[in-house]
This record gives sequence, structure tokens and C-alpha cells, in this order.
Amino acid sequence: MAKNSSRIFRALQELLRSSRSRRTAGMAERPELLRSDFADPEELLKAVRKLRALGVPVLETYTPFPIHGMDEALSERPSRLPWVTGLLGLLGVSGAVALQVWTSAVDYPLVIGGKPLISIPAFIPVMFESTVLVAGLGTVATLFALTKLRPRLKVPDLHLGANDDRFVLVAAMGHGHTFDSLTALLAEHGAIDTVRLLKDARGEDTSARWEREVPLPLAMAAILAPAALILGLGSALNRDFRRRGLEFDAGMMYPVAAQAYDPSAVLKGGQVLHAPPAGTVARNQAPALRFGPGVEEAVRAGLELRNPLEPTPANLARGQVVWTRICATCHGEGGKGDGGVIPRFPNPPNLMIPKYEAYTEGRIFHVATFGGPEKIMKPLGDHLSSDDRWRAAMHLKGLISEAAKARAKTAAAGAPAAATPAQAPASAPPPGAKP
Amino acid sequence: MSSHASSASAPEAYPGLGEVPELIRLGRTLRGAALGALVLGALLLLTGAGQGGARLWGNLLVAGVNLTHVGLGGLFIVAVTRLTSGRWSDPILAAPHAMPRVLPWALGVLLLLWFGAATLYPWARPDAASDHLLHLRMAWLNKPFFWGRIVAYFALWIFLGRLMLQRKLFTAPYVVAFAATFSLASFDWIMSLEPAWYSTIFAIYGFAGMFLQAIALVSISAVALRRFGLLPQGVQKTPNHDLGKLMFAFSAFWAYIWLSQFLLIWYANIPEEIGPVKLMLTGPWAPLYYLNLVLNFALPFHLMLNRKAKQHERMLLWAAGIVLAGHWLDLYLLVFPPLTGGAAPKLGLPELGGILLTLGLGHLAVWPRLTSKKETA
Repeated sequence: MAKNSSRIFRALQELLRSSRSRRTAGMAERPELLRSDFADPEELLKAVRKLRALGVPVLETYTPFPIHGMDEALSERPSRLPWVTGLLGLLGVSGAVALQVWTSAVDYPLVIGGKPLISIPAFIPVMFESTVLVAGLGTVATLFALTKLRPRLKVPDLHLGANDDRFVLVAAMGHGHTFDSLTALLAEHGAIDTVRLLKDARGEDTSARWEREVPLPLAMAAILAPAALILGLGSALNRDFRRRGLEFDAGMMYPVAAQAYDPSAVLKGGQVLHAPPAGTVARNQAPALRFGPGVEEAVRAGLELRNPLEPTPANLARGQVVWTRICATCHGEGGKGDGGVIPRFPNPPNLMIPKYEAYTEGRIFHVATFGGPEKIMKPLGDHLSSDDRWRAAMHLKGLISEAAKARAKTAAAGAPAAATPAQAPASAPPPGAKP
Repeated sequence: MSSHASSASAPEAYPGLGEVPELIRLGRTLRGAALGALVLGALLLLTGAGQGGARLWGNLLVAGVNLTHVGLGGLFIVAVTRLTSGRWSDPILAAPHAMPRVLPWALGVLLLLWFGAATLYPWARPDAASDHLLHLRMAWLNKPFFWGRIVAYFALWIFLGRLMLQRKLFTAPYVVAFAATFSLASFDWIMSLEPAWYSTIFAIYGFAGMFLQAIALVSISAVALRRFGLLPQGVQKTPNHDLGKLMFAFSAFWAYIWLSQFLLIWYANIPEEIGPVKLMLTGPWAPLYYLNLVLNFALPFHLMLNRKAKQHERMLLWAAGIVLAGHWLDLYLLVFPPLTGGAAPKLGLPELGGILLTLGLGHLAVWPRLTSKKETA
């Protein structure tokens, strides 16, 4: 894997290498090099131009700051880095478009603010940021790769002073130019000092040494290890940071204001709410329902409970609203178990079949309060007021009765002999049952 | 240390007009042309006096705001290069030093609007007090206070600006005062055309266009200064590359601010804000609305993208010219939709008159200072 990525890296280098480096790479053996120091950037620039005009290859310059025009002076071909930046920018913008179109129109289509699923103005901020990010980081990475700015085992001692007050060029001799002729030429252009790049005190080739690099896998490990360490530590320490006092910005993570359900500092045991005293009922509080969950209790509720609300137009209308907003999502507008959400969930049964004709409003109310017998339907007692549950039950009972009537009519028309009694037992719960 | 920086830092000696006979002739020709444009522009503007005068006063407002932007843009470029200790601009500082000369003329144009107030501004109409929203705003938006503020803004810009051009000490105070007064002026002159509509980024939007136009004007005058041989002694090159970079960057900045304003209004889509944007997107204004983006952003941005293009004098001129046209259109689109009440835009002689008036006044105010020998730094 590492070898592979290293090969890709080299291929990229090869592809993007400027004409200057290609020329030097093509040489069979390393030429003799000379190094020349200048005190003035303008003089260095002129010297580089002069050498290039004479056909002397100038390999590199080392200066404390970038010198305007040095790019053009060192190579006749302009840098190809802008093309990389442009391509990376296109990659960034198309990636952002693809990501947003995929997430907001294909994978999870969701209408937001009444806008079309693919609404370009809303995508622009992400497109912009992603373009800048990919192009910026990618350009820096490409620059490092092209200039071989990788960690080195030994810092080259070639250009001492080049990070301070010296402007240094390195050129190759040969092509009919001797060291002496070049020294004289450079001195004319203001060079302070010109030396051969030979061997250092230990007999190593100096010019070879500053090419030696840390192997790529090692460099990548050095870069990635701290990140891996931080991420690993993060998950190892991923506990209750509140108690350890380790979070860096508590104000953002936890609300400063008092929370309604925080333990009370005043009442005994941190208790926040008191139960009403025995034998009292709070205002607007529905009396306790003396039923528990479960199918037996549902049957008992069906027998004992009756709707405390009259079927006035207001109640019927509200029942329809509650049904449409809450129940119809799964049960469907007509109660046939075909609501909009059911492809993702188990289908509720079709409530318009004869089996449910016997269900009283009390039983429906029980299901609405405690959930369905299969525990697929969730209890809605905490979400809907008691009155709204009764009104929804009233609406559903109406739907069931209508379906039963329609069935009776078709049965009477088609096969009069097989007529089934289809009376609605809705408004006939046993007397004496009180909610 | 380096030779070119030291020679550029002392632009006190200009060749000046007096020594170049060709320039005197050119100056006379341009002066005649500018006077002609001024007179012709005023006449053409008067043809817009019919139909309630909306096109006369609207174009006069565009011209006044545009001239103000020219003057303030020059002052701001001087201030910002000083505050950043920028020396790249030394060879071409003559232009931003000359541009503030249009401010008194701009004041004159804006004062003329007193007579067209009822046409332009709903709050200046006789029945404004009966409208609850307008009535609430009348403590700030009433004729004496409004034009009093105009005079106060210009007094501050002209006097503090002159002080700043002479003494470096006043640079930072000028920028602070400019930021506050420019915001208020933008709200006053343009946003109050629709008193119920508001956008808190409006002043920055105006500023972005103003600065972009100022860079374009400085680019054009830099080229002109070089061609007429009016650069400071010892300077052969103008910083075209830097001007191109600034134009590139600030056309992107303008688009950034444009989108910042547009995106929030478009996304929130609430009744009190969406009106003007909806009119622009769906009505007959849409082509001009998109053309504005092309002229102020797409064209200058892409023309100035390439490094060689930034250094290329003619490309720089093209981009600058497009930006000038774009800024006029930008102001036109801010001023006219509220005036026409949703009707289709009409581009014709009064608009041409407004442009000619702006060009003529601008030239007459700036040219003498641009070509004079006077010390600038």
C-alpha cells in the first residue's frame, strides 16, 4: 500500500515536474556545481539572467524572501501550478454540487423552506468554501510535492545565510564554461563569493547529501502519528467530561440557565413537582384514567368507557384535523393503513374491515392512549390531550360506520340473502361506564 | 535597499502640463468634450421630466451617488494604502488624490434633488403622515433633516478628507468617520426610496461597489498617466499587476456581499423583505439583474484571473471599463425599481443624459488636479 502510494506520488511528481528539473534529471552524471553568494537581490536576478543567456544551467536560488521575476528568470516555461489550482478548484466546486444534489435531492429529498430540492443559491456558500478549501490545500500540498519540501534527515548546509542576508544561486559548470571563467563573470555581476560544491570534511559529496530525503512512508507516519494519537486519546477519554472538568468551553456545551427538571435545591430530595394532595384535582387536569395498558384493559375500556364529548360540528371538525395530522400519517386518510410513512414502517391494519365494526369509541380511545396491542403503535397519551383523543376516536368511528354502511349496501344489492347486520355499535356502550 | 522602491517613494516632482504642448492641446479637447457632455447630458435629462419626472430625478440621484462614490473611493484608496503602509501605489497616487475633487459637484447634484423629493421619496409626499409605517420614520426621514444631513456628510468628507490628504495623522480618524457616515448616507439616499424595506448589509454592499469602481478608475488613470508621461520622475512602470489583482479580488468581494444580501432575503422569503428581490427575479427586470452580476463579477473576475492579463494594459482597461458600466447599472437597479412601481425598465435618453452628466462633471473636476504639478504625498 505504501509502495503503491509512493509510486503514485512519484508519478505525480514526474507529471508536474518543470522543464528546469527535467533538464537536470536527464543528465547522465551529476555535473560539477558551483555556488555563488550575492548581497543584493537585483544583482542575483541579473546574474541568473546572464548565466541563462550564456546557456549555463542555473539549478536553484536560495533567498531570504521571494524575488519578483525569479520564476521567469529561472525557467522559460511558466509554472504549471496554477493549472493544478484550477483543476482542484473545479474538483472542489463539482464535488460540492454533487454532494449537495445527492444529499438533498436523491438520498433524502426533503423540501426546506418551500424551495426546490435542487436550489442552486442555497448551494453557493458550500460550493464557494469547498472550492477555496480544495484548491488552497491542494495547491500547498502540490507545491510541497513539487519542491520536495519534505522532512529531511539532514538540513543542507549549502545555503548558510540564505535565510538572512545572502542571495545564493547554484549553477552547473560545463558547456565550455570553467569554474574560473564563471567566477570572473559572477564577480562582475556583484557576487561576493563563488565556491565549488565539492566534498565536505568527511569526504561526503555535499551536493548529494542535501538531496537525501526521509522515505515517504516515514514522513507520512511522522505527519499522521500525532493526529492518530490525538484521535485515539479522544476516544479513550470520551467519558463524562463534565465531571472531569476537562471540557474546553462549558458555556457552549451546557446551558447556563436553570433547567426545568434540574433537582430542586429547596424541596426535600431534590424534588421539583409535588403530587396534588390526596382527594384534590388540579385545574385543567383530566381525572386519572383507571385503566392500564394491554389488550384485556382495552376490551374493558371498550365496554366501560364512553365518549364524554357530544358529536357537535366543532368536535367532528377537530377530530378530522387530529386524524389528518397525527393518525393519517400511518393509518391513511381513510383509515385503510396506507398513510404516507408506511413504506418505512410495518403497515397498520386496514381499519375498514368488518372486524373493527365492533370497536367502540372507548376502545379506540384506549388504543390512542396506550398504543396498539402489537406495541407497534406508540402510546399518544402524552402527546394529545384527552379531548383530542376522544375527538379522533369519534372521527375514526364515523369512518368505520360509513365503511360498514357502504358494505351493507353492496351486499344488499349483490346478494340479498347473505345480508350481514352492519349496525354501528358506536353509540351503544353499556350504561354505567364512566370515564 | 532596492533601487525602485526608493525612487517611487518620493512622487513630488511631476512633469506637469505646462511642459508638454500636446497635453495642453489634449486637455483643451477633453475639456470641450466634457463641457459638451455636461450640457447635452443636462438637456437629455430634461427630456425625462415628463411622466411625473421619475426618470429625471432618478437619473439625477444615480449621477449624484455615482459622483459621491468616485470622490469617496479616491479618498478611501489613499487612506487604505497609507494605513497598510503600501508603497506599491506611490506612482499612481495622483488619481486617488484628484478624485475627491468631484465631491462638491456631487453635493450640488444631490442638493438639486430637493425639488424632486416628492417624486423620489415616499416619505416626502404630502400624504406620507397618513401611512403608519412612514409616520413612524418621519423623525429621521423629513426634508430639512435629510438635506441637512447631506450637507453635514459632505462637509465632513470634504474637510476631513482634505485634512487627511495633507496630514497622515488624520488617516485613521477619517476612515472611522467615513465608515459611519457612508453607511448612513447609503441608508438615506437609496434605501429610503422604499422606506419599509431594509437590509442591514446595504451599506457594505454600496461600499463594495464603490471601492471596485475606485480601483477601476485608478487603473484607467494609471494607464493614462503613463501614456501621457505624467508619472513621477524616475518611474517607468505602473503597478498594473497590483491593480489587476485588486480588481480581481474586489469583484469577488462585491459578489460575496451581493450574495450575502441576496441569499438571506431569498432563503427567508418573508413578506417585508422579499418584495424587491421577487420583482427582480421574476419580472421584466430579470435580464438587467443578471447582467449586473456579469458586469460587476463574472467579466472582471475572469478577465483578471490570468497573471499575464493583469499586467496587460489593454485588458486592464477593458476590465475597468466593464466595472464602470457595471457600477452605473448597479446604482440604476437600486434606484429605479421602486420608482417605477414594478413596471418594466425603460432605458433611453434620460439615462444617457445622466451618464453624460456624470462623465462631464467627473472629468472637469478631476482632470486639472490629475495633470497639475502639485505635490501629492
